[in-house]
Amino acid sequence: MDNDNRRASRRTEVLSNHLLPRPHTTTAHLSPSNCLSYAPPELSSSNPVSFDTYVMRSLLDGHNLDDRDWLFGLIVQSPLFNRQERGGRVFVSVDYNHTMEQQREETMRRIGYLLDRGVFRGWLTGDGPQEELRKLALHEVISMYDHSLAVKIGVHIFLWGGAVKFLGTKRHHDKWLRATENYELKGCFAMTELGHGSNVRGVETVTTYDSRSGEFVINTPCESAQKYWIGGAANHATHTIVFSQLYINGGNQGVHAFICPIRDSSGNVCPNIRIAECGHKIGLNGVDNGRIWFDNVRIPRENLLNSVADVSPRGEYLSSIKNVDQRFAAFLAPLTSGRVTIASSAVYISKIGLSIAIRYALTRRAFSMTPNGPEVLLLDYPSHQQRLLPLLAKIYAMSFAGLELKMLYVNRTPESNKAIHIVSSAYKATFTWNNMRTLQECREACGGQGVKSENRIGPFKGEFDVHSTFEGDNNVLMQQISKALLGEYIVCQTKKKPFRGLGLEHMNNPAPVLPSQLTSSILRSSEFQLDLFHLRERDLLGRFAAEVSQYQAQGESKESAFNLSYQVAEDLGRAFSERAILKTFIEVESKVPAGSLKDVLGLLRSLYALISVDEDAAFLRYGYLSTENAAAVRKEVLKLCTELRPHALALVSSFGIPDAFLSPIAFDWVGSNAWPSAQH
Amino acid sequence: MAFNPKPDDDQVLVEKRSCARVIILNRTRQLNALSFYMVSRLLEIFLEDDGNPDIKLVIMKGNGRAFCAGGDVSAVVRDVKGGDWRLGAKFFENEFKLNYLMATYSKPQVSILNGIVMGGGAGASIHGRFRVATEKTVFAMPETELGLFPDVGSTYFLSRLPGFFGEYVGLTGARLDGAEMLTCGLATHFVPSTKLSLLEESLYKVESNDATKVSAIIDKYSEQPSLKENSVYHRMDAINRCFSRKTVEEILYYLEMEAMNNKADNWASTTIRTLKKASPTSLKVFLKLIRKARLQGIGQCLITDYRVVCHVLQGHYSKDFFEGCRAILIDKDRKPKWEPSRLELVSDRDVDRYFAKLDDQGWKDLELPERLNNLPPYVTSKL
Repeated sequence: MDNDNRRASRRTEVLSNHLLPRPHTTTAHLSPSNCLSYAPPELSSSNPVSFDTYVMRSLLDGHNLDDRDWLFGLIVQSPLFNRQERGGRVFVSVDYNHTMEQQREETMRRIGYLLDRGVFRGWLTGDGPQEELRKLALHEVISMYDHSLAVKIGVHIFLWGGAVKFLGTKRHHDKWLRATENYELKGCFAMTELGHGSNVRGVETVTTYDSRSGEFVINTPCESAQKYWIGGAANHATHTIVFSQLYINGGNQGVHAFICPIRDSSGNVCPNIRIAECGHKIGLNGVDNGRIWFDNVRIPRENLLNSVADVSPRGEYLSSIKNVDQRFAAFLAPLTSGRVTIASSAVYISKIGLSIAIRYALTRRAFSMTPNGPEVLLLDYPSHQQRLLPLLAKIYAMSFAGLELKMLYVNRTPESNKAIHIVSSAYKATFTWNNMRTLQECREACGGQGVKSENRIGPFKGEFDVHSTFEGDNNVLMQQISKALLGEYIVCQTKKKPFRGLGLEHMNNPAPVLPSQLTSSILRSSEFQLDLFHLRERDLLGRFAAEVSQYQAQGESKESAFNLSYQVAEDLGRAFSERAILKTFIEVESKVPAGSLKDVLGLLRSLYALISVDEDAAFLRYGYLSTENAAAVRKEVLKLCTELRPHALALVSSFGIPDAFLSPIAFDWVGSNAWPSAQH
Repeated sequence: MAFNPKPDDDQVLVEKRSCARVIILNRTRQLNALSFYMVSRLLEIFLEDDGNPDIKLVIMKGNGRAFCAGGDVSAVVRDVKGGDWRLGAKFFENEFKLNYLMATYSKPQVSILNGIVMGGGAGASIHGRFRVATEKTVFAMPETELGLFPDVGSTYFLSRLPGFFGEYVGLTGARLDGAEMLTCGLATHFVPSTKLSLLEESLYKVESNDATKVSAIIDKYSEQPSLKENSVYHRMDAINRCFSRKTVEEILYYLEMEAMNNKADNWASTTIRTLKKASPTSLKVFLKLIRKARLQGIGQCLITDYRVVCHVLQGHYSKDFFEGCRAILIDKDRKPKWEPSRLELVSDRDVDRYFAKLDDQGWKDLELPERLNNLPPYVTSKL
């Protein structure tokens, strides 16, 4: 009887073993010492914290730290943001498994939540630098969660709302600004067309005025005039800003902006409007980009955004700005804020990539130096240091520069508009290109783990690629810088007056003379670094001017001469940006009291300066450095990387990005990949 | 330290039962409130046992009605009033080091919360791996009422409770029962008090520091209690709506909206009254603390707590802590005169000052006890 029972119970156990997974029994008797275990980098003596990371974060973020932390918390604590627990930690990130349509609806739900919590309060109705800085800080946090969410909000508030605010007058402000901030309507911004992107002046949409009814009539005259990539248009937007040529009595007055309803409050597309999808994209699938055609769409005369020009009820064209070029420039004002936010957001995304890749490199080992010896941490390889640490130095530099741009922007005056235009163009292009490069390097530095979407870096490459194109194509922007610098150069030469502004004052001094032998201490001195950058900029500006005038002397038009001098223009754009960034870095450093934090900043600044020199062939091409000195620069980069290695963890911690916004491989990647976490 | 009529050494009873270290808080007349002696002794025990391979498990409990009613702040206030605030700071320094050690301990700590668990008592238990609540448990972080703030690294675990429950619990000092603690995650298990001695007997037999094994044992005695009908946990939606706001003023504004929209229910109006009784400075300092803590590891939270508490003891910016102790613990008139007296008189800048390093000769940030590698994953995830 007893025996039977025992047999029966054994039989039951065998059967249940077949039917139910028994995960632990096979591994339980293995000794854990045979396995790799995760060692938190925080506890390792090779990662000492030698400075106050919160003070460093304050320098980097620069403003509204409490607001940022509040919003981080709002996101982390809400189930709407796809919280996932992995290895005992919570992570938030969009679910890329969801369809395009699902992602778009999730974006809207998240906006509803943020709206309810008062995140957007004052984003349009508030005025003054403090309100603007709060808005920029919160928008940066949103972009760190999801680019789609940031863009969807950015289109509605910065582009639609910004156009109403900057191009409209009181009647538009009263009617739309508060309503926009409260999402009583959803706005979009129809500027780009299939046939015209960066060249906004060439848009083909046509608007005429009908004085009998007092209405404007908008038309899409041909397929290349369809509005394209209009964020929000495909599903949600109820209103749009239309950029269109304005014809009055047959005469073209140039591009103007109009408010046009495109959907009713129940979401039905308005009569005479056709809307189509742009389709699945390499990123930003949570944004409903669409295409719009206008077929004799009639809007009231009051819908012309009339701060720059107006049309009287009888159909007379009235503008305080007579110069067509200046009028057009005024219409592009809302785009400036876009470039400022993109530049800044690119820096924050690079910070996420670097935080993940560097934390991973501080816990992941590969290969031993000796047979049976312990494997080496990735970040202890000089090669790995040189892949990641110069990028870290660049992000510190760009972070300070981006902050200065924001300050310039929020404290803007009519006099500073030109500088803002040039600096924002330079930084938008420089930071977004740098971001893509950084993400690629970080992805590779994480090996196979970098390929997993949950580790964020991979999807970011698709999500943020468009940064180099929207709000001004990077190449076009960089050429504008060189053109603007040439403009300054010509004015100063012909009027025989000194350079002022844009950091060009150094042009008034004699050319700096560099020491012939570059020692380590010379290479690390900020005076030397700035001299070297000044030398490059002044020489390239002179070269560019000479080349353009040479082409003109050969009979080329001014425009054609610019195009033909493209190579030098490109070098000059880079020289200007890198010099401006370095200068800001030196200023930030000079305000920090002596101590360990300042010392680390000094290492970072030197590494930023020297890696920039190492990577720009112009220094050798035009002979600013001898080959010997160029080699000395490269060696110094390696030394600086070695010296920064112990600070790597503290430097990424100083970014102040919550753990939840990083990813499982930034922490216990053994635990987060262990069998129990695969069970749910 | 303060004069004590009887020797301290029976305030903490220490036993060893096979592989288990059993620590009993034994200062029953003061509801086991932690004296300077107790935190120092506990710190000593935890440090000693950390490297002792014979100890696999730590069991902590309290004699009498309480697990532990908090830190003995009236003693601290006496010390500070005696002239040197640094003496008071020493108490917190040891207490926070103990909290850090518990949060990052190499062996599972099982705390039996059969009674009152408040303030420092929460710090001495919630950081550990297992927290066993019973039908007798009463939990609260009542510091804002005392002109202090929930310290002991509590912002680490409060900020990680669902939604904005942590803000609610820390700002209002709301009392939670065992079922609520289990539901929100402050407790890991609920065991009826009648089964505690059986549970302890079983735990004594544990021969490994494997947390899953310990968990399985506690599971055997655990029950799933149901939340009371009027449990505050049923109001999570309203709590999230109100306590997610950026400032204390906004939280109050949304509570008032809640009270207006739901007149039949007095939860919102009671909550408003509670908040209005607390120290305005304490409320604002705590809100900033928990918002920071949500994004920080346990070590950083304790370092920040230490800075803030030193400012409180130094008393340069506010004396609310001393006033709160006078009104609640000493004179017991329960009528503290807060200074500043209203929320709008406490600016962001006033609050920020509590987070800066102290400008006082020789003062240093809290130095955390060194932790070694090979800590279990439930510990490393807190760093």
